[in-house]
Amino acid sequence: MTGSSASSRKVLSKIATNRLQKELVEWQVNPPSGFLHKVTDNLQRWVIEVYGAQGTIYAGEKYQLQVDFPEHYPMEAPQVIFLHPAPLHPHIYSNGHICLDILYDSWSPAMTVSSICISILSMLSSSTVKERPEDNDRYVKNCRNGRSPKETRWWFHDDKV
Amino acid sequence: MDSEDDMHDANDAESVDDDFYSGETAMDSDDGDAADYEFIDNDSDDSNDLVSHRSQQNYTILNETDIQLRQEDDITKIASILSISNVAAAILLRHYNWSVSKVNDEWFADEEKVRRVVGLLEEPRPLPNAKELTCGICFEVYPNDSMRSAACGHPFCVTCWQGYISTSINDGPGCLTLRCPDPSCGAAVGKDMVVSLASHDDREKYRRYFLRSFVEDNRKVIVLSFNFLIIDLRFFFISPLIQNGVLLLVVDYAVDFIVGGGTFDVTCRCSYSFCWNCTEEAHRPVDCDTVSKWIMKNSAESENMNWILANSKPCPKCKRPIEKNQGCMHITCTPPCKFEFCWLCLGAWSDHGERTGGFYACNRYEAAKQEGVYDDTEKRREMAKNSLERYTHYYERWATNQSSRQKALADLQQMQSVHLEKLSDKQCQPESQLKFITEAWLQIVECRRVLKWTYAYGYYLPEHEHAKRQFFEYLQGEAESGLERLHQCAEKELQGYLNVEGPSKDFNEFRMKLAGLTSVTRNYFENLVRALENGLSDVDAHGGTSRTGGSRSLGAGSSKGRTSRSKGTASRSSGSRNIDDSGHWSCEYCTFANAKSATVCQMCQQRR
Repeated sequence: MTGSSASSRKVLSKIATNRLQKELVEWQVNPPSGFLHKVTDNLQRWVIEVYGAQGTIYAGEKYQLQVDFPEHYPMEAPQVIFLHPAPLHPHIYSNGHICLDILYDSWSPAMTVSSICISILSMLSSSTVKERPEDNDRYVKNCRNGRSPKETRWWFHDDKV
Repeated sequence: MDSEDDMHDANDAESVDDDFYSGETAMDSDDGDAADYEFIDNDSDDSNDLVSHRSQQNYTILNETDIQLRQEDDITKIASILSISNVAAAILLRHYNWSVSKVNDEWFADEEKVRRVVGLLEEPRPLPNAKELTCGICFEVYPNDSMRSAACGHPFCVTCWQGYISTSINDGPGCLTLRCPDPSCGAAVGKDMVVSLASHDDREKYRRYFLRSFVEDNRKVIVLSFNFLIIDLRFFFISPLIQNGVLLLVVDYAVDFIVGGGTFDVTCRCSYSFCWNCTEEAHRPVDCDTVSKWIMKNSAESENMNWILANSKPCPKCKRPIEKNQGCMHITCTPPCKFEFCWLCLGAWSDHGERTGGFYACNRYEAAKQEGVYDDTEKRREMAKNSLERYTHYYERWATNQSSRQKALADLQQMQSVHLEKLSDKQCQPESQLKFITEAWLQIVECRRVLKWTYAYGYYLPEHEHAKRQFFEYLQGEAESGLERLHQCAEKELQGYLNVEGPSKDFNEFRMKLAGLTSVTRNYFENLVRALENGLSDVDAHGGTSRTGGSRSLGAGSSKGRTSRSKGTASRSSGSRNIDDSGHWSCEYCTFANAKSATVCQMCQQRR
């Protein structure tokens, strides 16, 4: 379902390429704990493995994050989704879309892939129940045809989880 | 006085737009005594003062410069009270919707909290003291002097700042609350920094957002309905700017309205008029309630109406619409009417039978159709008795005047952009001397507007008030023919002066005629509006006219020609028995109080 949005992407700008190369180097030197990035030659799409933190309800589980970078990264936020199967979480939809403000309205160019990963892991870790968002079915139905989560008007109602 | 009013030579451009009702330039805002516009004109001396019967300066039209000045005033005020920079003052004011008092209150209640909320640091921090710094966005290393930061000292390179600022500006007015890119920092990025780093286009956008914020966050904003945006895009209210594929609506003027004054009508300098109260287009003489009722009715009925007109016929006896969806021509109306009739000829069924060519054919209809009895007007006339048709009657005329008004606006535009220059050329007249033509057209536009609403008025005028209805229809008819005269002169006769080789000798006479017609029509319509607004109370009062103001202005209108002839007439007729204390005479036919100078009743045209 991300195929269509990926194919319509524009190539990275020079600024974006430079910045991603630096991030990649930094990641290799100092990777955030609990994450594994399988480096490929595709700078524009990163697939990152996430390991549920010890002592949380996701301990021992493994998920995959897909990060797609827009032409004007980092001025524009990357698109971040969980690949199937997405973790059961009150802010994660079954199609992998994540309801997290820094991925949309609160994005700042001073954030990095690494800081996004840490935020996502912290969001996972603070959950006490494994369940889908209340409006999961309706939302997922609306997102057919590969709509990007960045086109969604998110409503960040809960900062506890 | 005379010479100044003559052709409005001496008036500046704005007054043309304001003339309809106010007469004085819009900037003289007079908030106090605007309510009693109907009774303020008892001084009969300056009878040539055509336009100032109503003092309605309960609003001020602000252009961009005016808005900017007010904004700067407020910013300077706050900056000096709180001893902070203008940039900081602007950030504070914007946060508190440009309310000077709110900023004051909040600041002195808890300065620290306010600073935290809006991102104003007490002590600005400089850039880190190192020769080279790493940009927090692109992670490149630059010499210290090519880095910038907000008051918080977080260093970013100029290129990244530019990208950050440009992205934010192109995202919309949110750029007015820009913060430092560092996620852990909430320091505000002020106007000075944005302006120094943004591209020329972005700077202009930012400036507009900044200005608009002052208007929109600060006061009651008129949100015109979508329809109006569409209509008025074609004219002047809003100039659309398409940038990056996004339609930016730039409102050129703002209106500062002081509630509690006289009427709610506001005429912007772009010559668009609207009602401050209900935000519909200006709708005097009918009130806001009637307008909303009428608009509701239009939207609810128009669909039904079309269907009914297309698919039904009224019962010839009770006039209820009947749909014939199947069956023969023999129709029996529903109880209690139960009238039996022929669908084709709408005649009684009892007349049908062998004589009409059998029960299931109606040769009366065929024959009559051949003779043309059932032509459209015939059908219309018959259906006019129908109550639904009554609505259609008013609606059609309302809508026709609406479209005539749009047409007149377009003609006015055409006049201003093309014809005036040509006319000035042909007739060797400076364009400033041709304002009377623009005025005539503005008057036509205004008349169409009033006329349009008189149809809503007429629709709601109770059926049983026969005298009022009659009088109303008479006034309306007169208004229409008066307007036709003006329109004819401003359109057809003007053509004659456009399509000539050299200057016409009688151009001055034309000027007199058109200017005269304009003012007569203006006065007639003003009186009409007033008469309708007070519910045609004159009809009940029977001659006890309270409309001295109106009659005076009519007199003024008729003497607008300023010929010695009319003055002579005035002095001769001064002894008439019908003249009341204020020097007016009441018409024997319609009881209208005319100025003593008039020999013919201004309302019904009857001789004295």
